[in-house]
Amino acid sequence: MSAIAESYAVKLGRNRLGLWLFLFSDLFVFVGLFVARVVLLGGQRPDLDQTLGIIVTVMLLFSSFFMNRAEIEMAHGNRPAFLRNIFITMVLGLIFLVGVVGVEWQVAHFGPGDGAQGAVFYAMTGFHAFHVLTGVIFLFIVWNNGRNGHYSAEKHWGVEACAIYWHFVDVVWMFFYVGLYLMGNPI
Amino acid sequence: MVHFVIVGLLVVASTLGLGLFLTNAPILPLQASEQAITVDWLFNIHWWLIAFFFSLITVFILYSVFVFRRKRGERGDGKYVSHNDRLEIIWTAIPIGIVLILAVIGASTLADVERRDANALTVDVYASQWVWRFEYTAEVQTEAGETILTAVSTDTLVLPKDRQVLLRMRSADVIHSFWVPEFRIKQDVLPGGDEFVRELRITPNLEGLYKVRCAELCGQLHYAMLADVQVVTPAEFDAWLAENAGDCNLGDEQCGQRWATTYGCTACHSLTGESGVGPTWLGLFGHEVSLSDGSVVTADLEYLHTSIVDPNAQVVQGFQPGIMPQDFAVRLTEEQIQQIIAFIVSLQ
Amino acid sequence: MRFLSTGLVRGLIAQIVGTVVGMALTMAIRVLVGLPVSSTDAALQQHITEVHVVGGVIIGAMAFMVGVGVLDEWLGWARGKPINENIDPDPSKPNWMRYFGVDFDHKVIGVQYGVTSILLLGIGGLMAVLFRTELAQSGITFLNSDIFEIMLGYNSEHLFNTLMSLHGMVMIAGNLLGIGALMNYLVPMMIGANDMAFPRLNSFAFWINVPGALILVSSMFFGGFDTGWVGYPPLSVRAPLGMEMFLIGVYLVGLSSIAGAINVIVTVFTMRAKGMTMFRMPIFVWAALATSIIQFTATQMIGLSFQLVMLERLFGMGFFDATAGGDPILYQHLFWFYSHPAVYVFILPGLGIISELLPVFSRKPLFGYKAVAMSSLGIALIGFFVWAHHMFASGMSPFLRVPFMYATLLVAVPTGVKFFSWVATLWEGKLEFPTPMLFALGSVVIFLLGGVTGPPLGTIATDLHLHDTYFVVGHFHDTMFGGFVFPFFAALYYWFPKLTGRMYNEKLGKWHFWLMWGSFMVLSNGMLLVGLLGMRRRIVDYDPALGFDFTHLLITIAAFAIFLSVVLALYNFIRSARKGPEAKDNVWNSRSPEWHIPSPAPLHNFPEPFEVVGEPYDYGKIDSPYVIMPAASATGHAHAAATGKE
Repeated sequence: MSAIAESYAVKLGRNRLGLWLFLFSDLFVFVGLFVARVVLLGGQRPDLDQTLGIIVTVMLLFSSFFMNRAEIEMAHGNRPAFLRNIFITMVLGLIFLVGVVGVEWQVAHFGPGDGAQGAVFYAMTGFHAFHVLTGVIFLFIVWNNGRNGHYSAEKHWGVEACAIYWHFVDVVWMFFYVGLYLMGNPI
Repeated sequence: MVHFVIVGLLVVASTLGLGLFLTNAPILPLQASEQAITVDWLFNIHWWLIAFFFSLITVFILYSVFVFRRKRGERGDGKYVSHNDRLEIIWTAIPIGIVLILAVIGASTLADVERRDANALTVDVYASQWVWRFEYTAEVQTEAGETILTAVSTDTLVLPKDRQVLLRMRSADVIHSFWVPEFRIKQDVLPGGDEFVRELRITPNLEGLYKVRCAELCGQLHYAMLADVQVVTPAEFDAWLAENAGDCNLGDEQCGQRWATTYGCTACHSLTGESGVGPTWLGLFGHEVSLSDGSVVTADLEYLHTSIVDPNAQVVQGFQPGIMPQDFAVRLTEEQIQQIIAFIVSLQ
Repeated sequence: MRFLSTGLVRGLIAQIVGTVVGMALTMAIRVLVGLPVSSTDAALQQHITEVHVVGGVIIGAMAFMVGVGVLDEWLGWARGKPINENIDPDPSKPNWMRYFGVDFDHKVIGVQYGVTSILLLGIGGLMAVLFRTELAQSGITFLNSDIFEIMLGYNSEHLFNTLMSLHGMVMIAGNLLGIGALMNYLVPMMIGANDMAFPRLNSFAFWINVPGALILVSSMFFGGFDTGWVGYPPLSVRAPLGMEMFLIGVYLVGLSSIAGAINVIVTVFTMRAKGMTMFRMPIFVWAALATSIIQFTATQMIGLSFQLVMLERLFGMGFFDATAGGDPILYQHLFWFYSHPAVYVFILPGLGIISELLPVFSRKPLFGYKAVAMSSLGIALIGFFVWAHHMFASGMSPFLRVPFMYATLLVAVPTGVKFFSWVATLWEGKLEFPTPMLFALGSVVIFLLGGVTGPPLGTIATDLHLHDTYFVVGHFHDTMFGGFVFPFFAALYYWFPKLTGRMYNEKLGKWHFWLMWGSFMVLSNGMLLVGLLGMRRRIVDYDPALGFDFTHLLITIAAFAIFLSVVLALYNFIRSARKGPEAKDNVWNSRSPEWHIPSPAPLHNFPEPFEVVGEPYDYGKIDSPYVIMPAASATGHAHAAATGKE
């Protein structure tokens, strides 16, 4: 950057603001999708497997818990616990992905081309799954960097950013879960 | 203070000049409907507002440019005035007031334009790439003396003067927009089922010939998506409707020609040998046609029938699939299809 | 031959290779999941080709970013390499090479944005000149030439629609890059920062535009598209393959907007010099902030709406097709949620430039600084609640119309505040009229014309007549020229000495202004007039019976004159950059901090930070310094001016 070296704290503040702005921006995509869902399906919802829905949702909720643990352990400088927790987060994220894309997409009795229900369901889960996928890749990189000793109790912006992003993706799913599995009557 | 007096006088003069010009110059099409009267009344309010605000700002700027320009050899800066709270509040508050009044007027003119007449004449409007079709419901006396309702389909919109017409509009493919500039108001025509039918109410008040001009870009021949509009006296209208209400009593070829026009075939298929959006019909029957899959077939009666009811089955080389509507099997009766084929056969 | 080793060339080669590989990859995936890769059915084959091409183009765009080298740092971080904190340019390479590859200096990125912007504006202008030639008289007489048919393979009507649609979107991309240029170059210097907050993201945000613009323009060679820049479905679902290029190209440019805007916001909030409170920033920074707030939120919606159209085309997902349960109006809501505020993205920085220049050339304070700053935010905020005024005739829920009319008309209030403040700034000043001032005043008048023609479009009854006519075309060309094009040129002339250390040719500059301003007045008033009389938008031919031929001829001549004037300006810039008289000092005698460092600005703008001690626009007030520039940063002469003691 500039000739004047800037302190880690200054940069951290900037990075945090930047990340939150990015998430706020990203939120608009999900709001847009939710609006599309309300306009196109209204009081109806796709006919989906409720058991599978609750399982993947619980997996994602648990993953956020472990993500939180990982960040706290890192803040306390406990590297092994951090690595363990972030690894569990990653595995749970992968289970979610397999649950939605690998199972739900296959067992659903309608395809993406089958009317508004197909369009809404595959678009909402697809956009969200893409975010989960990028989140898992992010987790993997942070885990890998963590193994190589990149983070310390004082300097672990990477871990923090990853955690914030992961929680964001998780919170979005809470709304999408309601929108897809609970709101209205099945078609 | 002298500055302000001069500028004030100039603004008044400029506003009057510009306003009188805009309200009197022929800058709007002929006024041919009740709705146009309301719309034009609102336009006049706008012209005066435009005249005032445009004059206000430009006169001040021009005056500053000429009077406050740096004179030769002059040095130093302008007068130090950084802000004036009272002035700023005034020039925020007054526009808010004007805007709110304008919005109230806007809402009331809208209500005026949309006013419903229970006695309105209903016409169904069918838009498709790139033709307009209009369907009326007419009462016909059968030979047995019963009164039955029958549909009259035309490519010209004939309207009685001084009676509100309710246009119920739907599109077969993409979004179109119904607009007759002389009637002022327009409405997009949407594809889809009954929930996408859109309505427009117009009360023509001037006899004459106008044109429907599609106002929403709808593909290649959008510019040519026109239809004639004829405003006639109520008596003439009734006579016209009665005349067209019967079945086609002409020969097959003549009837076929009539359907080919009213259902829009000839918008894309020329009768002159020119290649349009679709292949020409002149000399088509009995000749060989190269298809886009490479095969060559003879245009016999069966080929013509298939091409009408299932246009994507055999796409002629050099033409796009999916452009021709695919619902003619439903929209036309078998008799009409046969008559259109007879018409095509006759074009040698 | 060092040019061949620049990032740009590497990126382009990578993009070509990536596109081919991407197509193969898409094909391979289709084979793996058991989908056909070719078909004898014409319609199906068309669809299969489309899927392959889209896959290839997306991978190609990614390959460009890798090839140009803008992802190197991030990919390194992902592989666990430590981050290189020193991002200064490699001193062993010649200076010109910095502009053709990845560089993290905001000034270089600003120039990259600016040059790309001018290129795009030129291409868009060329398209306009082509279809204006067609419109010079009724009848289809020019675009039906065989040359076009042979080159592009489609007929005159489709060619017109493609040119007209691309003109719109290429110009919008050009505008976005133009304001990117202004914000990148000016914002850090104006607030006393040495660079943007995230230099790598900044470079990414610029370079993503290059594949984006290439893909966008390439749609001409993929069969074009005929939807206008709005891309309304179902028409856009049926349009040829070129539609996909349009959607992908715009999406990439949109990514740039989002990343760039976040960068500007963080920079403004966290990197201001000591003493520079929000209300002591040069007014352009406020405009940049307001613009960025719109950009980083609303842009997501156009991205989403375009992606949904792509999904509908590629996978038959029925979002907008009513027969498949979709709703065509939904697209329009999503689209205009961005595309109306987008207009303010284009104009706010331009209005900021006007507010920046008028005080300098009137030698008076900007009248009502706070109100002008707040009016930018006000326009941005109200701008989020007016989108449906583009849809008064669309057949949306009728109850939405009146509330949106109220909101729309309210935009006039903050816009009015700006006009009144400008007039009050000029009043009793000591006005001088070098080229930048002429452009600033010219844009005020043109933007005023755009402003006053707004309310007839805002009240529903009149809009039902004007919607989709040339009146709308005239109105937004007024706002775009008054809000972007003229201020952009004002800025180019004004900061030209800052950028190059040389002065442009004043005589040519004035010729440029008068030719462009006069022609534009003819063009826009002609458009407004035929629009009122019933000329529809987006038509290749018009009814001679309407009597528009003469007006259209005038509009076309004016369009050519505008094009010519821009060529004149470019000649002036290129020649003056090399041979113009030296202008190293504060040529305009401005108070703004960027003029108190040498021209061209050094690598790190301010070797030592300066301190802000007063108001930015206290022209005409003795002993009221704005910034105190340490000797290490300042030029000798400028120092005195900075402290206001002359």
